[in-house]
Amino acid sequence: MEKGIFEIFGVMSMEPDEIRVGVVRIEGTNCEDETVRAFRMLGVFAEAVHLKQFYSDMIKDGESRSIWDYSCLVFPGGFSAGDYVRAGAIFSARAKSLLRHDLEMFIREGYPVLGICNGFQVLAELGALPGFDEDRPVSDKPEMALAINSSSRFECRQSYLKHENRGKCRFTSEYMKDEIVVFPVAHAEGKVTFPVGREKDFLNLLEENDQIVFRYVDSEGNYSDYPWNPNGSYSNIAGICNVTGNVFGLMPHPERVVNPWQHTDWMRMEREEGDGIRVFRSILKYLEKL
Amino acid sequence: MFRLILQDPEVYEIDLLGSDEAQLVKISQDLGLNLNLDEMKRIREYFRKIGRNPTDIELQSLGQAWSEHCCYKSSKYYLKKYLLGFRPGYVISTSDDAGVVEFDEEHAYVVAFESHNHPSAIEPYGGAATGIGGILRDVVCMGAQPVALADPLFFGNPDTERERLPRGTKHPLYLLSGVVAGIRDYGNRVGIPTVAGMVFFDESYLTNCLVNVGCVGIVRKENIIPSRVGGTGEIIILAGGATGRDGIHGVTFASAELDEKSEEESRGAVQLGDPIMKEPLIHACLEAVENGLVSGMKDLGGGGLSGAVGEMSLAGNCGAEVWLEKVHLKEEGMKPWEIWISESQERMLLSVRPQHVDEVLYIFSKWDVPARIIGVTTEDRRLRVYWEGRLIYDMDIEFVSAGVEYCRDYRVEKRGSEGEDEVRDFGNYEEIIMRMLSHPNVASKEWIVRQYDHEVRASTILKPLQGVIGFETHGDAAVIRPTESMKGIAITADVNPWMTSVDPFWGSASSFDEMVRNLVAVNSHPHSFVDCLNFGNPEKPERMGEFVESVKALGWMSKEFGIPVVSGNVSFYNETPYGAIAPTPSLIGIGILDDIRDAISSEFKREGSAVILVGETRAEFGGSLYSKVTGIESLSVPKTDPERLKNYADAMLSAFRSFRIFACHDVSMGGIAVALAEMAFGARFGFEASLKDFVELFSESNTRWIVEIDERDALDFIDFMSERGCRAEKIGVTGGDVLDYGITSLELDAAEEKWRKGFSRFLG
Repeated sequence: MEKGIFEIFGVMSMEPDEIRVGVVRIEGTNCEDETVRAFRMLGVFAEAVHLKQFYSDMIKDGESRSIWDYSCLVFPGGFSAGDYVRAGAIFSARAKSLLRHDLEMFIREGYPVLGICNGFQVLAELGALPGFDEDRPVSDKPEMALAINSSSRFECRQSYLKHENRGKCRFTSEYMKDEIVVFPVAHAEGKVTFPVGREKDFLNLLEENDQIVFRYVDSEGNYSDYPWNPNGSYSNIAGICNVTGNVFGLMPHPERVVNPWQHTDWMRMEREEGDGIRVFRSILKYLEKL
Repeated sequence: MFRLILQDPEVYEIDLLGSDEAQLVKISQDLGLNLNLDEMKRIREYFRKIGRNPTDIELQSLGQAWSEHCCYKSSKYYLKKYLLGFRPGYVISTSDDAGVVEFDEEHAYVVAFESHNHPSAIEPYGGAATGIGGILRDVVCMGAQPVALADPLFFGNPDTERERLPRGTKHPLYLLSGVVAGIRDYGNRVGIPTVAGMVFFDESYLTNCLVNVGCVGIVRKENIIPSRVGGTGEIIILAGGATGRDGIHGVTFASAELDEKSEEESRGAVQLGDPIMKEPLIHACLEAVENGLVSGMKDLGGGGLSGAVGEMSLAGNCGAEVWLEKVHLKEEGMKPWEIWISESQERMLLSVRPQHVDEVLYIFSKWDVPARIIGVTTEDRRLRVYWEGRLIYDMDIEFVSAGVEYCRDYRVEKRGSEGEDEVRDFGNYEEIIMRMLSHPNVASKEWIVRQYDHEVRASTILKPLQGVIGFETHGDAAVIRPTESMKGIAITADVNPWMTSVDPFWGSASSFDEMVRNLVAVNSHPHSFVDCLNFGNPEKPERMGEFVESVKALGWMSKEFGIPVVSGNVSFYNETPYGAIAPTPSLIGIGILDDIRDAISSEFKREGSAVILVGETRAEFGGSLYSKVTGIESLSVPKTDPERLKNYADAMLSAFRSFRIFACHDVSMGGIAVALAEMAFGARFGFEASLKDFVELFSESNTRWIVEIDERDALDFIDFMSERGCRAEKIGVTGGDVLDYGITSLELDAAEEKWRKGFSRFLG
């Protein structure tokens, strides 16, 4: 049945003015404005949408929404619900209990879902990443975690990232393989961690499936330790996508570097645009081309 | 003396009319009012006239309203006399919790600055966090979106031995870690970048640390919301967190000296913060404002409901009726007076026309923020509070809000004459520079800065750390792009307590000079400033003298240089039995850039370019780092002159339009020695300079900058400056891996290591 829906309704190519991006917020998400702005810079419709607008009956008609109103969903950065339990845990629990079925269908149909920083933590807690199973894009239990940084501190710094995806990730088609870019990180819990004892298996699978998207490197492009790897992530992983390439989570913030002057070293280095804008452009290209 | 007039909850009537002087003093003490005998007598007089005794809630309300913190009773007179009154046409409002100043045709920026010293000394994490919460509310209640935070912090020396700590005092490093964590966890969670600030260590802060917090916001002009009710018959809505027993007597606690018992007695005066209530509260308030539903808004800060309802009604020329049982509470059994003066965090008071009430309540409920109707505005200027229909409070608002005002005695102490200066050349420059670079007041503050999200909102164009990625150095000011246009706001926080403690007048004038230098260094036009005036006990004439001297200097600099002070805060009683703090008038300066892409960062950009010193160097070492690391006494605090400063600032800014400047850094603590080193650290290469003596190396004379410019433009630049009556001279070239000052030289790597670890070595 669901397969049928995929065949009939699956992502079809869209005109730019048909694209609608929803940046999902709850209390404590705090990067939705700049994320919305990044999409709008490229001329597409984007809005911040409160999770309650998807389900709550107290919401007025004009403000209520369905997942299917959007062609792309983004879980933005921030401290959803305060992150007091574990980063992203409450947001993902709420989203899962209310929207799991819709979300799974949304992902299966190939629509892009992006999670930045806290959004990555939400996608990991939700079980949408690493997302090995094509048929069950949201697993019952989380299979990875973004653990407390090795430094035990919140780290706000610009990080060098190497784009290692070979073409699966829908969000980075505009970056060359092995290209090095700079995005800022700002988090206390960003250390990519896999189940103890199975790290190697996970890594092999991710590499085999072309799910590794960005790795932290130093200014020379080499894999390095702190501070270049700001959180102690396993195998320097900064961002991964699911097995179908349409769910992408990363700790660094591409939406914070969409213009050249948002880079720390903008006076030292000429850039035509910010390094992060191509993440958003890749999404639009994907939606337009399909 | 106390008569129960309401059983559950309890309200007492207090027999003021029948009390003698001794009993009045005792009542003030027993109720924790912190009012003196004269003030109690004035209150007795008022109630004698209306022919009844006051209730406990009425007296508590007066204790709040008449506290130093709320009514500025010691400072008002001198502030009006010396500092305030200069108001150029672009200042929109200075009367409320924050200053509102024109930014462009459509927008205004909003600035607020406050101290949260005593709470932070008792409970550093909660104290600092709620300081951030409070300052955010001050900006939001003007209808503005906060866009940046700035926080100057002051602690005792980090190497203080634990055995030497006075009783009841917490170690400076414990306080620092707690305060930084509090700012981090609150600021990062609400998603407002912390972009500027300073950390200063001095013995005088050992028993009384200072935590000053500032916030800048942006608002469309038509959305500016006054802190007053819009007229009679408006509905008063209390929105946000529940009201609890935390933060009771916060303002009276802020208006007395701390002692070793403060810990146990006053912990209840420290509020508890909840950033995840604040974040949606901000959204909901701004959404209601955006939809034109709000007539007036005020945050609940010092004095709680008592202060906010009264001040808002009075400002709107109205009275109000409040139904106190409607307030939603954290705990059961709270007495009406506790509810009325509680300073629980994350609360906002809105005045709304009846036809907008449903819409406003809907918005708050959408954001899951509790909001309750608690009263209505009335025609007469009286405030009446009811508990389930029973009148328990009925006073003229003017009597409560007018407060008291003192013209306190002051004495300016002469600290020796300038002839006694001990300053001399100690030689040994290399070692002195190394000690300067590793001094915690100079060394890299990266350990702190990186814990603050200084990039959230994606609008931080000049970041607090600037230079080669991974090797950044300190900048002079942060630059924010608050709207979609290219116009920018520069923000800097400055004060030099070593200078103010030698000479409050010239130290304060120097702090102002440094603030202007920092704004100019990033190529912004100084536009306005706010002050947080931290001093000791104002009842002591010598402390009051420090305050008056400082305020005189700031007023003089402000008026003659031509930028207004648009908001501020006075914090007295920063004093314990172990002594008072150094006079600390912290300043936050705001500058405007027409285009953020014109901003200039502090680190060198190219090897082989010219290094130019702008300004004049004299042997001025009072309060200097040189005097501290060599242990000599110097009384000649650097002088300045606002007209001269203005001339230099104008010349620099027009030179920045005519020449391509690679880097600019102001010369301040540690003189040219430290300024050049910092410019090199962020670039990863050194310089070759030709400084001749210890004065040129280490003097902290005001109104100086270092400029890096293409070698081919150097002479033209120098001519350009001298045509405008400003001194500029080439002192070197950039490049190499040595900090070559001429008279001495250091290996870049070794010096950088000292600077990077000089502060973090205490923290691990």
